[in-house]
Amino acid sequence: MGPRLPDAAPWLRSGRATMRVLVPIILLLLLWQSLGSFHLVDTAFLPTPVLVARALGDLMTGHEIRDNILVTLLRAGVGLGLAIVTGIWLGIGIARWPVFRSFVSPLVGATYSLPKTALVPLLILWFGIGNTMAITAVYLSALLPVVVHTYHGVKATPSVLVWSAQALGSGRRELLWRIFLPHALPDIFTGIRIALGFSFVVALSAEMIASTAGIGRLIFMYGENGSYDYMFAAVASVVVVAFLADRALLALGASCLRWHDSALAVET
Amino acid sequence: MTTKIRIRRVSKTYKTDGEEVRALEHTDLDVGEGEFVSIVGPSGCGKSTLLYIVGGFIPAQGDVLVDGNPIEGPGIDRGVVFQEYALFPWLTVRRNILYGLENRPLTAQQRAQAADRLIGVIGLEKFAHRYPRELSGGMKQRVALARTLACDPVVLLLDEPFGALDAQTREVMQDELLRIWLETRKTVLMVTHDVNEAVYLSNRICVMSARPGRIIEEFTVTLDRSAGREQVMLSEAFNKIRNDVWLAVRRQATAAAAQAETPQEGTPQEGTPYGSAAA
Repeated sequence: MGPRLPDAAPWLRSGRATMRVLVPIILLLLLWQSLGSFHLVDTAFLPTPVLVARALGDLMTGHEIRDNILVTLLRAGVGLGLAIVTGIWLGIGIARWPVFRSFVSPLVGATYSLPKTALVPLLILWFGIGNTMAITAVYLSALLPVVVHTYHGVKATPSVLVWSAQALGSGRRELLWRIFLPHALPDIFTGIRIALGFSFVVALSAEMIASTAGIGRLIFMYGENGSYDYMFAAVASVVVVAFLADRALLALGASCLRWHDSALAVET
Repeated sequence: MTTKIRIRRVSKTYKTDGEEVRALEHTDLDVGEGEFVSIVGPSGCGKSTLLYIVGGFIPAQGDVLVDGNPIEGPGIDRGVVFQEYALFPWLTVRRNILYGLENRPLTAQQRAQAADRLIGVIGLEKFAHRYPRELSGGMKQRVALARTLACDPVVLLLDEPFGALDAQTREVMQDELLRIWLETRKTVLMVTHDVNEAVYLSNRICVMSARPGRIIEEFTVTLDRSAGREQVMLSEAFNKIRNDVWLAVRRQATAAAAQAETPQEGTPQEGTPYGSAAA
């Protein structure tokens, strides 16, 4: 009989948790590999993970992936950043100012379900091919989730919180900064998280439609040339970057929202 | 005794689903300085609405004067404690209390001292840096009371302050409120549906009629509170007045039930404390 390990050893628990994440991924990779290895699928159309890894290693030695990822990140980041800054204020404005709401609400309602990539040809006409076009497309797609979630967060502020602050001497400006905005913060984070996903999608789509740089163009180019192993390698790099960005946002949210009931549920 | 709160011919009509409902009809009430007045009545009679009008949170017809000045919206002269605690969930206990101190002419150091003193008064030293979600209901209501007292208001408006607490915690909180009131002698206007609570705490109890609400009966309470809870609550005098008030409320509740063909629960829309979010 070996030495007994305490049930709740933290390293053991985190080890188990890691296994729970890793084992399915490894099994799926093996399945994918076997599709090619046993000639169930032509590797020309679905390259095996080994081939993709080799292509990725090849691409990583050069600057191609890095440079193009940076271009895409810049476009997604600037568009998203602008959308967050203006979206929060628009959301607050709609929630707090009825006249403003009656002007902006129809616009939001009409454009909410429109896929913003449909506007890319128009944006090309206006701004040409390049950063401005891609950033504008990202901005438009990321704006509405931020606006709508901010609006709901502000709107749902309980009257008793507002009244309490007023009875403690808070004026309009203080209510905005110290009551409505903090109350909306969990919703704002939700909106930003959705917008983050959109911004990657739209940045890549815009690059695939028309661009001279960016990871979207790279993926499209490899696809056109039939180098599917390189295409998958580029896609894999996007997956990693997008995943890391989402996790970073979650970590930021968790540290900002420690006070919130859902603070522990943010991880899911 | 000077009059702190003067309510004259206050009426309130609100609309729900396009239907006009008269919540208050020509209500009159005076609360003297240092007095503890409770308003009891059947549910939906508009007693909370009256309190919100005095708080300046909802507009109404008629006159409300505090210290002889007509009220124009909420103000730091009237401190409010709500049944739902209404603590700012993103601030710790200490910061919630500091919020109430900010509009007083104090130095940062004085504020810090005052906050620490109030945290001591409510006995939550160990929880000073916790967020409201980590506190029990009784603790939350203690913090809400401390935050309101921090502002040093002229009058305290209490909206069913202990209604969400369990019976035991409620008694502890009532004793705590009584102790604070005996120390500070603030003017208090409290809305409650708990007749025992009203008799145990108040100098005067006003019974409101069924909707449209107006004050129709008043009871003066002269009990020696220094005797302690058991002595007071088991005394002949306490039971006599408790029964009288209970019967008066019951008459109104029965009248309300007979009068209403369709049950109209709840408070006016703009007066609903938790608009869309749940507590």
